[in-house]
Amino acid sequence: MIGINRRYATDFDWALLIAALMIAAFGVLEISSAEPAPGLWRRQVVGVAIGVVVLFVTTMFDYRRIVNLAPYFYGVSLTLLALVFTPLGREVNGNRNWLYLGAFRFQPSELAKICTILFLAWYLSGARKRPLDLRSTLILAVAWAVPTGLVFLENDTGSALSFGSFFAAMLLLSGIRWRWVLLALAGLATAIILAIPALKECKSYKCERIKAVYWPDLAEKRFRYQNEQAEIAVGSGGIFGKGLRGSTQGTLGFVPEVHNDFIFAVASEEWGFFGGILSLAAYLFIIFRLLMIARRSRERAGLFLVTGIAALMLYHVAVNVGMVVRLMPIMGIPLPLMSFGSTSVVATCFGLGLAISVRLRRFVN
Amino acid sequence: MISKDQGFDSQEDLRQAGVRLRIIYYVALVVFFVLAGRLWYLQVMNSESYLERAEQNRTRIIAIPARRGTIFDRKGRILVTSQPSYNIVVNRKDVRDFDEVAGLLADNLGIDSQWLARRFESAKFEPKYESIVIKELATPADVAWVEAHQYEFPMIRSEEAPRRSYPHGLMAAHALGYVGEVSRAELDDPKSPFSRDKGFKLGDIVGKAGIERTYNDALTGEDGERTVVVDSRGRIQREISVTPPVAGRDFYTTIDLDIQRLAEEQTDTMPSGRGVIVVSNPRNGEILALVSHPAFDPNLFSMRAKTEQGREEIRDLTEDPDKPLYNRVIQGSYPPGSTWKLLTSVAALNEGVITPENSRVQDGGIQLGNYFMNSLSNLGMPDVVTAIARSADGYYYRLGIKMGAERFEKWVKIFRFGERTGVDLPREVSGLMPIPAVKENITRNIMKRKKTDQGEEWTEKDEEAVRRAAKWTEYDMAASSFGQGTNASTPIQLLRYVGGLAVGGSNYTPHLLLRISSGLNRFGQFEPEIHYTDNNRFTVPMSPEIVQIVRKGMWEAVNGGGTANAAAVVGFDVCGKTGTAQVASNDKAGRKTQDHAWFMSFAPRDNPELAMVILTENAGFGGKQSAPRAQPIYEDYYRRTRNLPMPVVADANGTTASPGSPVRQ
Repeated sequence: MIGINRRYATDFDWALLIAALMIAAFGVLEISSAEPAPGLWRRQVVGVAIGVVVLFVTTMFDYRRIVNLAPYFYGVSLTLLALVFTPLGREVNGNRNWLYLGAFRFQPSELAKICTILFLAWYLSGARKRPLDLRSTLILAVAWAVPTGLVFLENDTGSALSFGSFFAAMLLLSGIRWRWVLLALAGLATAIILAIPALKECKSYKCERIKAVYWPDLAEKRFRYQNEQAEIAVGSGGIFGKGLRGSTQGTLGFVPEVHNDFIFAVASEEWGFFGGILSLAAYLFIIFRLLMIARRSRERAGLFLVTGIAALMLYHVAVNVGMVVRLMPIMGIPLPLMSFGSTSVVATCFGLGLAISVRLRRFVN
Repeated sequence: MISKDQGFDSQEDLRQAGVRLRIIYYVALVVFFVLAGRLWYLQVMNSESYLERAEQNRTRIIAIPARRGTIFDRKGRILVTSQPSYNIVVNRKDVRDFDEVAGLLADNLGIDSQWLARRFESAKFEPKYESIVIKELATPADVAWVEAHQYEFPMIRSEEAPRRSYPHGLMAAHALGYVGEVSRAELDDPKSPFSRDKGFKLGDIVGKAGIERTYNDALTGEDGERTVVVDSRGRIQREISVTPPVAGRDFYTTIDLDIQRLAEEQTDTMPSGRGVIVVSNPRNGEILALVSHPAFDPNLFSMRAKTEQGREEIRDLTEDPDKPLYNRVIQGSYPPGSTWKLLTSVAALNEGVITPENSRVQDGGIQLGNYFMNSLSNLGMPDVVTAIARSADGYYYRLGIKMGAERFEKWVKIFRFGERTGVDLPREVSGLMPIPAVKENITRNIMKRKKTDQGEEWTEKDEEAVRRAAKWTEYDMAASSFGQGTNASTPIQLLRYVGGLAVGGSNYTPHLLLRISSGLNRFGQFEPEIHYTDNNRFTVPMSPEIVQIVRKGMWEAVNGGGTANAAAVVGFDVCGKTGTAQVASNDKAGRKTQDHAWFMSFAPRDNPELAMVILTENAGFGGKQSAPRAQPIYEDYYRRTRNLPMPVVADANGTTASPGSPVRQ
């Protein structure tokens, strides 16, 4: 069951692990620098340690066995998502996405993303037709829509949209016809264009956050504030940054959620353009590495699984960094491995572990 | 359960998957370059402006107000000082929600929200990190409330703000002036002494009048400042730097509180409630007393300017028809009347129109064309000393005509009438000279206004009409020679004039600066003591013989049965000249307004120590209204400086009291 042999060490994707660990270490450093509360970085170190253990343990299992268990994972994650709506759930920053189980608390939505990827991969690997027939597509859509809807109900729009990212990528890989792809893109573009006038009028806080980025004059001042302060933090970093502990925007509380969703703001304030580009390059490296693993996968489950993980990673980086540099509206999306939060780190490590497992077993069959 | 065919169905399938994976590659690359490009834009192209904004974000500059210099009289008695007090200030940058803060301030500090809104509005263009004053003279309760809520409302702070205090109230108000917040107009005007480019900003306290204004720089000192790091709520985290304030330098005026106090007592009894007494040392121009009546209380501007009641009081002052804010000594210009006869005499003697022994000029009324100029005196053919002492009008009509406009004008200019004396007070006026050019100007202005009102063009023909109408006649000459006509002189001009006559021609610029104490400037460098330097001093040519004639004439006016005998002080040899300036206007009831009563004098005759000008507006004869007011001032000075006992008078209750100052040396 646990496949460790002498090829494990040579085939293991050390480069991917090192890139991930570097990002995580950088994250811990910046959390300690921002330090909105003392000792947060130690909790993050614990989270990263758990993540690394989870990663190694995952690689020891044949991913195909895990994929085969996907329906159970999926069921458990749906249950946990539903539990959020019971008194066990807690609301944080307007999003009801925390679950308190005794001393143990986490965000089920982070786990649900990976579990849904697993479930979709399981289903797609079994579907023989290529492209998918209508019935399979519908089943796939429902399997995707249920967790997405639950996360939406938690008011966690950013996470809900992230489900769309890997769903789209996996659907694309399944061989969906190009005309449907084009039709979907055209439909999306039309919907956005049609929604703009209504959006400008809309006063809900979600609309205000969108306006704060694209039509700042129309947005209320208090919604622009976070964007502006993050923008100042990044911009004031300059080329080489203000150095470790040099952040004033972050440490003095101008940038909100600085250890969490806005950790990239402090990182770019302290390490400048240099640090920002290096971090982005590390993420790009990981994503490319994942896509390479997917391409070399010998069978469909591995292909879909790793592609989904790569798409999710890409979505998180794009949206999180995008919102820090004021290209995207503010959504509660953590930066994988770097943002404070054990659930996110562990879930990401689980995903990376699955991908490495796929790589380890590309020749075995 | 994963299906049996775990590998790809076909090579085609694999190829297709590869193509589609490449799309995701490209999406990732595009995302990377878009984000990198944005970072380039923010961090490489625009980093400087963001860096500046980050600095503004994290630092606040808190002013530590400098204590304004104390003003002393010449003997070191305090005239103006600064009292500790507190202001409540708001840092606008930290106010996110105006309504919330306004409500808070209204409820707890009783600040009117509408007024606060206006205050915020007017400060809109000021640098944001400057805090604005929202309450002055905060009570201990206000300060305690602010201190107690520092953590919840860090944008509201209390700040020490020393406040100007004038312990003598109205006394010497026009000399001392008052302070207030610099006005927006002054900030915006680059020519004003308090413009923005000279470093002044909204809320700065500056001198608005008097010594406070002229010597504002020396008195102000330099505010210090604390630069602190604040968090996003404006709470102070730590201090970066402190520049301690440099206190303003101490200022000693030439004013002698003893003389000032007596002069104030004399103006208090003036029948019209309006007048001037100004006293100087003729040997150096130091002003010993300066009263312009009615006066105002300078405390009003520094202590109560922000209260409703105080604003009303200030409005009353500005609307008072007697103009208490206006310094008559330097801003009022009046026909000098017969005091001018000394100028005519000195001019005529210098030009050889008359000789000391024999003037060959007749006194008495005179027929000029079809106009008869009356004279109250008819002394036949008096010598010049008698003409001065008895103020012989008819004598001066003829003397002026005999001298002629050209020579007369030359001497008006030698005495520097028609120009500012350069006294160290703001807003001095220059007055008007009784010469042909001035008459022409006045005539032209009147005619031009009339034409403009009728919407007509001003032509060369009109210029000719002006020349015809403004022709300098014998009547003009006669009127000018005894201080009427187009003559308008300020009391300060007459003070310099009488001082010059007293000391034989040396005209010192009247001034209020005795010395400014040494001190440190804002760079921590030592600045030496400053004394007054007279750059405007000039000499009117007067031979010893002429000096004697002037002194004799003026002495006789007081001591020899002349017009000013009410000013005589036994043993002190007061010399003086009265003047009664005709006022060509009617009062509200339609009666002809009373004349202005002048008395200019100096004492003692042979080695003058004091020069004095008294003007009682619209009161009547100078000899009756003004000369008697000089007497107690001279008497007191004389006895005090000669260590003679003060005369004891009984008041209405039968108790005894000394007249004049209770402060004795």
